[in-house]
Amino acid sequence: MNWSVENELLPVPLVLGWLAVCWLLPRERSRSRILGGVLAVAALLGLQSILLPPASDFVRDAMFYVFAGAAILCAGLMITDKNPVYAALWFALTTLAVCGLFLLNSAPFLAAATIIVYAGAIVVTFLFVIMLAQQGGAANYDRQAFQPEVASLLSFVLLGTLLFSLQEWGGIDGRAADAARHGQFLTLPEGVQANVLSQPPASNPREIGSLRVLGRSLFTDYLYAVELAGTVLLVATIGAIAIAPRRSQGHL
Amino acid sequence: MTATALESQLIVGAILFALGMIGFLTRRNLILIMLSAELMLHGVSVNLTAFGKYHGNPQGQVFTIFVLTVAACEAGLALSLFLTLYQRRKSLDVFLWGNLGEDELPVLSGGPPQSAPAKVIDPNADFPHLTPAGRAPKSPTTKT
Repeated sequence: MNWSVENELLPVPLVLGWLAVCWLLPRERSRSRILGGVLAVAALLGLQSILLPPASDFVRDAMFYVFAGAAILCAGLMITDKNPVYAALWFALTTLAVCGLFLLNSAPFLAAATIIVYAGAIVVTFLFVIMLAQQGGAANYDRQAFQPEVASLLSFVLLGTLLFSLQEWGGIDGRAADAARHGQFLTLPEGVQANVLSQPPASNPREIGSLRVLGRSLFTDYLYAVELAGTVLLVATIGAIAIAPRRSQGHL
Repeated sequence: MTATALESQLIVGAILFALGMIGFLTRRNLILIMLSAELMLHGVSVNLTAFGKYHGNPQGQVFTIFVLTVAACEAGLALSLFLTLYQRRKSLDVFLWGNLGEDELPVLSGGPPQSAPAKVIDPNADFPHLTPAGRAPKSPTTKT
């Protein structure tokens, strides 16, 4: 397909998506969700046909479409659901789908860690807070979004800019053929010495996500950052304990 | 990993980021705002791991682990702040953050020092404090 034709077609699914999100965001009057859903599906299919040509590997493509579609669908349902409990559960499903994408990116450890941290800890804690603070279901401020048209227009302008630049990067005059030169940003500049302990890039692509390579990189190249992250966790723990209200100070 | 696969992953990351931004800007529930921020972090994580796969090195995954750490810290602090706000106002509406000032705080601009004696602080006031550890020192005013 010609590049200019693709670029002219790009705003169509974006506008469709904007209309869908505007329609689906919570309002004072309840609206039919079917129209918004149809608009959203049309936007996604248009985006897929314009931007994502089918690759050769069928199984990988099918898994990618399943995980990506589930992630986007659950994310859309999360931001449009009126009930915060359901929104948190949709967020958990989004996390699971994103973990599937991590698996496709050969990051199994990261997928497991994300499931444990997000779906196991963060979402459950959010659910506890929702149930503590909001026993009556959807409150008045949940049923009414704050300036839905302007905010979603802004976000879709951002998305359109990102997609346009991506298209220009990958689709124009076969620049994607540079894929064999991957690692082009990795060469050290002149005069900068590599870390002695640093692991050279794994020759076997299956080894990228292995725990051995990941741990070596984490605890040699990024040891200082790991210490900093541990300090941040400690400070955040102390701060959360100090800030959280006591039972003696009120009922909750 | 071909460039096409990388590009499709980047598209998914961008869509997740945009959806999270919509949620962050439009929802009025504090908890949903935080969840939308986490959704934006998911989009960024997809980008990072896709680039790590594309370049064949583990640095994208390392940075995603840091993103995970910061997200956990953020969630803990934000939830304790939300509980504090909820205890004061009995609501999770984000617009209530607008008037959270405390009356008894001293004015920090360069005025004359206040001659009025400091107010007696109510021990049951609902601002945060640390639980004292160890044995409490003997106070001259209270008999034990």
